[in-house]
Amino acid sequence: MTPSILYTACIASAIGLYLLARSSNGPARGIGTLIGLGGLAYLLVGVMGSSEGGTYTSILPLIFGIIGVMAAVRVTTHRRPVFAALYFVLVVVASAGLFLLLQAEFMAFAIIIVYAGAILITYLFVLMLAQQSTTDDSDSGASWYDRTPREPALAVLAGFIMLAALTQSITEADGQAFMKQSIEKSSQSSTIAWQNLERLPKQLTRAAKDVQPDTKEVISGSLTPNGATATIKVILENDQEATLTLPASSQPANNQNVGLALVADFPVSLELAGVILLMAMFGAVVLARRQIELGEDEARELAGMQPTTQRGGDE
Amino acid sequence: MLNSSLFATLSSVSAGDGHAETVVSAIPEAARPENMTWAGLILLLPAISAILCGLYACLGIKNRLPGWTTVLALASSFVVVCMLYAGHEPGQPVVIHLFDWIDFSWGSKGAFENVTANFALYVDDLSLFWMLFVTGLGTCIAFYATEYMDEDRGKGYSRFFGAMSIFLLAMSALVLGDNLVMLYLGWEGVGLASYLLIGYYYQKTTAIDAAKKAFIMNRIGDLGLAIAIWLVWFNFGTLEYDGLFQALNLYLPMAEDGTLAGTQMGDAPLGWTAYLIPWFLMVGAFGKSAQFPLMTWLPDAMEGPTPVSALIHAATMVTAGVYLISRTYPIFWLEMEQGGYALATVGWIGGFTALLAATIAVKQYDMKRVLAYSTISQLGYMFMGLGVVQTFGACFHVYTHAFFKALLFLCSGAIMHGLAGQLDVRKIEGLRMAKGWKVVTWTMFIGALWLSAFPFTAGFFSKDEILAQAFVQEGPGFRALGWIGIITAGITSYYTFRVWFRVFGGKTLRIEPGPEHHGDASSFHPHPPGWRIKAVLIVLALGCIAAISSGYFGIGHWIKGMVSNSSASWGMPLHWHEGDTPFFGGDPHVTMYYVSGVVGLLGLSIAFYFHLYNRKLAITLEHAIQSRMSIRWIPRLLEKKWYMDEIYNATVRIPTWLCAKLLYLFDRLVIDGILVGGIARIPMFIARIFQPLQSGMLQGYATTMAGGVSLIIAWIIWTMSKGGG
Amino acid sequence: MTLLAVLAETSETASGDSRMLTICMTFSALIFVIGMFGFLTRRNMIVMFLCTELMFQGVALAMVTFSRLHLDVSGQVFVIFILTVAAAEAALALGLVILLNRRRQTLDVGAWSEIREC
Repeated sequence: MTPSILYTACIASAIGLYLLARSSNGPARGIGTLIGLGGLAYLLVGVMGSSEGGTYTSILPLIFGIIGVMAAVRVTTHRRPVFAALYFVLVVVASAGLFLLLQAEFMAFAIIIVYAGAILITYLFVLMLAQQSTTDDSDSGASWYDRTPREPALAVLAGFIMLAALTQSITEADGQAFMKQSIEKSSQSSTIAWQNLERLPKQLTRAAKDVQPDTKEVISGSLTPNGATATIKVILENDQEATLTLPASSQPANNQNVGLALVADFPVSLELAGVILLMAMFGAVVLARRQIELGEDEARELAGMQPTTQRGGDE
Repeated sequence: MLNSSLFATLSSVSAGDGHAETVVSAIPEAARPENMTWAGLILLLPAISAILCGLYACLGIKNRLPGWTTVLALASSFVVVCMLYAGHEPGQPVVIHLFDWIDFSWGSKGAFENVTANFALYVDDLSLFWMLFVTGLGTCIAFYATEYMDEDRGKGYSRFFGAMSIFLLAMSALVLGDNLVMLYLGWEGVGLASYLLIGYYYQKTTAIDAAKKAFIMNRIGDLGLAIAIWLVWFNFGTLEYDGLFQALNLYLPMAEDGTLAGTQMGDAPLGWTAYLIPWFLMVGAFGKSAQFPLMTWLPDAMEGPTPVSALIHAATMVTAGVYLISRTYPIFWLEMEQGGYALATVGWIGGFTALLAATIAVKQYDMKRVLAYSTISQLGYMFMGLGVVQTFGACFHVYTHAFFKALLFLCSGAIMHGLAGQLDVRKIEGLRMAKGWKVVTWTMFIGALWLSAFPFTAGFFSKDEILAQAFVQEGPGFRALGWIGIITAGITSYYTFRVWFRVFGGKTLRIEPGPEHHGDASSFHPHPPGWRIKAVLIVLALGCIAAISSGYFGIGHWIKGMVSNSSASWGMPLHWHEGDTPFFGGDPHVTMYYVSGVVGLLGLSIAFYFHLYNRKLAITLEHAIQSRMSIRWIPRLLEKKWYMDEIYNATVRIPTWLCAKLLYLFDRLVIDGILVGGIARIPMFIARIFQPLQSGMLQGYATTMAGGVSLIIAWIIWTMSKGGG
Repeated sequence: MTLLAVLAETSETASGDSRMLTICMTFSALIFVIGMFGFLTRRNMIVMFLCTELMFQGVALAMVTFSRLHLDVSGQVFVIFILTVAAAEAALALGLVILLNRRRQTLDVGAWSEIREC
């Protein structure tokens, strides 16, 4: 892919995004959509052309990606924050689809649960708390600061310089060569997955029992990866040794791999993440708490004590 | 008629055994006795008194305790001076070391290798001579002031006597100090005391202005003195008199018989800076002694209480300049021997000031101002004496002048005190007829006689010593200087008796009350002075009369001995032999008695005619002068003091002010505006370029950052793809 | 054929497909850039934070793609930490938003522009 095509595509997308950001409706919006989509298509065509692979397998990621990008554009351009938040859910779902295609099943569902389920609900709550009333604003029910973008030209410039740079680094010959090299290297040796299996003894035993129900115990350290399959030595019920061949399906699943990496490889980071979350909770509590100035008598009353000043005449 | 033989006798007595035999010898090295530290009481007693007065002021004491403390301290100080004098061996200086003050030394600690100025007393005949009348008069005047300042008891009484004590302390340090730094300390100390006392009535603007004027004028002179002191160290390597005189002895060598054998230079010839010392010393002396052109502060200093005028601004402090030059006379002499004109300048400035001040005094109406100008005039005589190489005459005149001028001031103070501040000679008449004013009348008469150099008074003898020497000494125009002196003597006589005849003479008693009297003028009665004022006046009058004896009975020898046994001996008349320089065909001293006597009587009689005998004629004459355009500026010029203050204002003050304004503008526009402000503005302008970035808008910052990150990423990727990864 | 089955089959066959990975990376860059654009242009504080979440999403997608590229789960672990930080940030940021909104009764970030330094 020649850089000029890439740059042209980036510029077209940038202009489309700019027009979309500038006007909420009218012909400019339509033109912006068209130019943006055209730019996006041009970009994707360029990207497709610069890489090798089956066209069929590229269709699903293209669909998810286009949905995600269009939803993302709507997040940034929609006049009403609630709708922006909802479009964000769409972005999350689309990227979860991409995650699935990338064999990251655990992460796909995790982001849907955490983002779409938890974080976005918080956003919506806050929006409802903060957005007091939009009825006074007759124009499509949005506040003025939601209708008027700030310096979209500069933002588009900054963003799409970055986009051009990033996409060029992805699509240029060197990048593609590096990618192909990495893929070959990783597909030739699927040893990592087998090593992970060896670190999960119960899983290993279960996998062995699936192949040979008589397995009593697996001899540790005997797993030998052999491409998609692997051999292990086991002790059978009759105390005889046997060599079993494990199929590819015996490899640990994605969630198992992630869990193992988290607990075994990054335990300190995991702890730190926990601390961060705790601190964030404290911080949110402290920040959002409404501070009420109490008089001395009220404070004493709350503490269960007698007020200091006696009101005469009551008793 | 006066007997000429009497004059001849007098002259031979007063002028000494023989002019040619006057011995000038090297100044002997000072003795340093260990057991004389009691002399430090001279300084200690006024210091204690000053501290006590400060305490009294803090305690709010309302009785006369401060006054009596001061009188007691000064009297004790006087007694100590007398004891010192009694034990003093003539011609032998004594250094009494009190305590170390400034003492640095390096190298082998010789000359030029130390800066030593210890608190020590240099007691020789000159300093004793000065101290005797300083402490003596100080005691008398403090005694007088206990009554004079009575009305201020509880208000400024303690302050007044505290400042008086400070003055005596500083004056003693000035006179007795063993080195030039201590002299400078005292010099500044008397300046401070003078400032404090002139500004005693600090609620009067004129008093404050006068105090500031005196202080600033003196600063100009003090700068000269400070430079001179530095130059002395630079050239002679020492600041102590003893070392200085020993160094000077090398440059003023004696023949074997003690006479001066011409000047031969020492091993190392003196640099040209040594010959600048007299000129700077002169500036210092002129400042303190109110000589032209630094004279204008003294008349204004009369804003202070009258005892202060008497003590500080007539009798003692203003003679410090004479003392300074007498003390450092060898340096002047050295300069003269090298063909310089420092002494001649001193003489001419003195003569010029004498005439100028006398002419101003003629047309003044304020009694104290007349006396102030006469003080300047008489100080001019003293400097004339120093200039024509007659230190004896100058010191003699200091001595007599101290007495009669203090007396005159105290008398005018008594008048002012009794007449509610009235000092205008036009508004008082026939005071001698008022009850209780006899003592004042006749003591003031004595003072006036002495001031006008009436024949056979002490002032007559001392003045003639100076005038005669002017005709004898060879120098640039000294003869003309002598004539100026004689004319001034006549004018002096006139203006002195003008005051006396106006105030005390006349057929009727007529007094207008002064500004301090509140109420009906017709009910005003002058209240006569009390016994303490009278006692002091009588004592001083007796002192004046006693001073005559110095002209007759060999006490002239006493003063002469005192002067000739000190560093001032270099200025004793040397070169005159009988018949050398005849004046009107005879001995100048003898002839001078006739001439100045006649001139003095002439002035007196003119005053008598116009101001007592025929006052109407004076008024007619006044009108006649005023009606003629061509000459009416003369009295006006005199009354306005030759427009001296106005000239200073135009020539010094306004240019200085303009200069200051210009410099201020320069500072504001160039330094502050262009240099400082301009440099400060550079970062401001640079900042203004980037200021829009600091808009406070979050997205502004974010856009900048994102743009920067984008560009960096683009640059990295571009270089990587160019460089082939 | 259910969607999941299609997905599973695709992912089986897509192993080692550089085109798919390239597309995923392009989309991650696009989402990141769009999120950045949104952060720079929107004035509503809540939407601005939403856009930062969008940028997180783009980065997470890139991480997962790298994980797939190298067959290493570290990339996915990284995404978990991103989620953690995003959650913490959302909690704090929304707390701040509520605080600021309470002060000025608006969500406009421009209302706070006078706390600049000059």
